[in-house]
Amino acid sequence: MTANVFLIQILNGLVYGGLLFIVSVGLVLIFGLRRVVNFAHGSLFMIGAYVGFSISLVAGFWVGIVGAAVALAIAGALLDVSVFRPLRGQDPIATVLVTFGLLLILEDLANTVWGKETHSLPLPEMLSGSVEILGQPFPTYRLLVIAVAAAVGIALALWLRFSRIGLFVRASSVDPVTTAVQGVNTDRVSAVVVAIGTGLAGLSGTIAAPLLALSPSMGGSILIESFIVVVVGGLGSFSGALIAALAIGQIHNLGIIYVPWAATMVPFLLMVAVLVWRPTGFAGSHV
Amino acid sequence: MTKPTPLKLRALGAASALALAFSGAAHAQETLKIGVPTAMSGTYADLGNQAKRAVEFAIAEANAKGGVAGHKVEAKILDTEAKPDLARKQSERLALEGYKVLTGVIASGEALAIAPMLDRWDALYVATVTKSDKITGDACVRRAFRVNHQDAQDAAVVKPWLGGRKEQKWAIIGMDGAWGRGSGAGFKEAATSHGKTVVAELYPPLGATDYAAYIQQIKASGAEGLWVALAGRDAVSFATQAHQFGLLANVFTAGVSFVTDNTVQAMGETSKGINGIINYSSTLDTPANKSFAAAWAKHYNGDQPSNFEGETYIGMQVIFQAVEKAKSVKPLDIARAMSGGRFDTILGNVAFRPEDNQLILPNYFGHVAEADGKLRPVVTMSFPADQATPAPSGACKLAKL
Repeated sequence: MTANVFLIQILNGLVYGGLLFIVSVGLVLIFGLRRVVNFAHGSLFMIGAYVGFSISLVAGFWVGIVGAAVALAIAGALLDVSVFRPLRGQDPIATVLVTFGLLLILEDLANTVWGKETHSLPLPEMLSGSVEILGQPFPTYRLLVIAVAAAVGIALALWLRFSRIGLFVRASSVDPVTTAVQGVNTDRVSAVVVAIGTGLAGLSGTIAAPLLALSPSMGGSILIESFIVVVVGGLGSFSGALIAALAIGQIHNLGIIYVPWAATMVPFLLMVAVLVWRPTGFAGSHV
Repeated sequence: MTKPTPLKLRALGAASALALAFSGAAHAQETLKIGVPTAMSGTYADLGNQAKRAVEFAIAEANAKGGVAGHKVEAKILDTEAKPDLARKQSERLALEGYKVLTGVIASGEALAIAPMLDRWDALYVATVTKSDKITGDACVRRAFRVNHQDAQDAAVVKPWLGGRKEQKWAIIGMDGAWGRGSGAGFKEAATSHGKTVVAELYPPLGATDYAAYIQQIKASGAEGLWVALAGRDAVSFATQAHQFGLLANVFTAGVSFVTDNTVQAMGETSKGINGIINYSSTLDTPANKSFAAAWAKHYNGDQPSNFEGETYIGMQVIFQAVEKAKSVKPLDIARAMSGGRFDTILGNVAFRPEDNQLILPNYFGHVAEADGKLRPVVTMSFPADQATPAPSGACKLAKL
C-alpha cells in the first residue's frame, strides 16, 4: 500500500470517527447530567435519519439536516420531562429498561411510518462529486462529515466552557444537589442538555443518511460502537468521547486493512483493555 | 346407582357417534401450519418482509380456493434477526406449537443451524432464499429441500457470462458468512477457469456501516471488475458509498442478490448498468408467471412480485402440491412426496434432484436498466435448467425417508 493510499485511509478513519463522535457525545451529555444510559439513542439516530430523509424530499437536503436536529431536540426535551425526570429517584435499572422499551417502540414506529424496505437519501448536486486529495478522488460529502463533527465539537466545547448554562451543566454533572442549592434550576438545565443530546442523535442520523441505507434497525451497530466510545472515553466525559471516537474510527478502518479476520473484534478488545487498566476511561467522568 | 334408561343410552350412543363423526371430520381438515422463522428486523429485514408477503399471498390464494386438499392453511411468523442461534430457537418454538413446515429463512447460517434439528422436531424445511452449497451439500438432511438456486447453480451461469467479459483482474466483496464466502469461492473458481486473476477478496461483517476501507482496497488492487455478494441493507449501503468514491463508474460491477427488484429502488441511478444473476423476475414470459404476477398485483395494490417474493412463492407452490400428493399434512409424508418429485411452478415444471433435495431450475442473467419507466433488473440471458445445473457435488448423503 502506497503512502498516499494509507493517508486516504486515515482520512476515512477520521470520517467514521467524526460520525461516531456526534452520536456518542449526545450519549455522554445525557449520561453526564442525568446519569441515564440511554439505550434508545441508536433509535433516535435512526428516527433522525428518517425525519431528515422525509424533510429533504420536500424541502431539500439542508433543511432536512436542520429540521431533523430540531425535531429530535424537541422530542428530547419531552423525553426528559416525561420520562427521565419522573424516574430520577428510581433504581437506575428502571430508566435503562424504559429506554430499552423506547428503542423497541421507535423501531416499530419507523416500520409503520416508513415501511421495512430500505431507502437512501440522494445527495444534492454540489456535494455528490469528489475532490482530488493526494492524487486520489475523495467524496466531497465525506469532507462535510468531518467539518460538521469539528463544528459540533468546537461549538460544544465553547458552550460548556464559556456560557452561563455551560457552567451550570459542568456544575450539575459534578454535584446536582449542591448546584440546585446554589439556586440553579437543574431541571431546566437537564431538559436543555437532553434536548441537545437527542438533537445531536438526529443530526448524526441525517448526516449518516446519504452514506447508509435507511432501515428501522440501522441504529443498532452504531449504538454498540458509540457505547464502546463512551466506555473507552470515560462515562460522561466530553473530551474523552472525542479522543475515543477518533481512535475507534482509525482502529475500525486500519483493522479492516491489516487484521481483517479480527476487525470487528478490535474495538471490543480496546474496551476490555481500557476497563482493565483504567476503569474510568481515558478522561474519567467529568464533563 | 340408578340403571340407565334406554332413552339415556340412546342419547349417549348418538352423542358418541356425533363426537366420532366430528373428530373424523376435524382430522380430514387438519390445518396445514406453515412456520416462518425469518428476519423481521436487522440488515435482512427487507428480505424477511418479502418472504412474509409471499407466504401470506400464497396462503390467501389457497384458502380462497377452499384450502390445500381440503386443509385450511395458516402461518405463524417469528423474527430471527438473521441470527443462526435465534433462528434455531424460533424454529423450535414454531415446531413445538405445531408449525412444523418451515420456510422463509433468509441467511444460510440460519438454515444450517435449523437443518440438523429437523428430525428431532419432526419438522420439514423448505429453503427459498438461502444459497450456501452446504445446505444441499455436506450438511444436507433428508427433511430439508431447496427450491431456490444454490451458489453452484449461480456459478454455472456466471462461468459462461464471465468468459465473454474482457476484464482480467477481479475483486470480490461478499458478506462474511456461509453465503458470501460460498459465492466468492464459486466466483473465484469461475474466474480462474477463464485465466482471470482475483486481486482482492474482502468479506465485511453483516450489517457493516462504513465500507470506505473496503472500497479503497478494491481501488488500490487495480481490479477492472468487481463481484459483489452483499444483500439487503448491506447492498444499498455499499453501492451508495462505492458510487460516491467513483468505484462503480470505473470498475465493471456485477453480483448476486446485490441489484434486486427492491435494492434497485433504494439505490436509484447508482444501480444503473450493474450486472447480476436474476434468479426470478416477474417479467419472465410464461403463462403461469404472468397469471401469478397479475394476481399479485391485484392483491398488493399494483405491486410486481420481487425476486425473493417469486422464489418464496415457488416454495409455497411446492409445499401445497406435495401436501396434495401426500394427502397428509404430516412433515414426513410431505417430505416423501417432495423427494425426487416434479412440481408445476411459476418457473415451469421442475423436479427435485433425489441425491440432494435440490430443485433443478432455469436461471437468468441481466443488468439494471429502465423498463416501463422504472429502473429494474432486466433479463438479458436465459439458461435452461439442464444448462444451469452442475452435477451434484457428491458431498450429500441423504438418510432414507
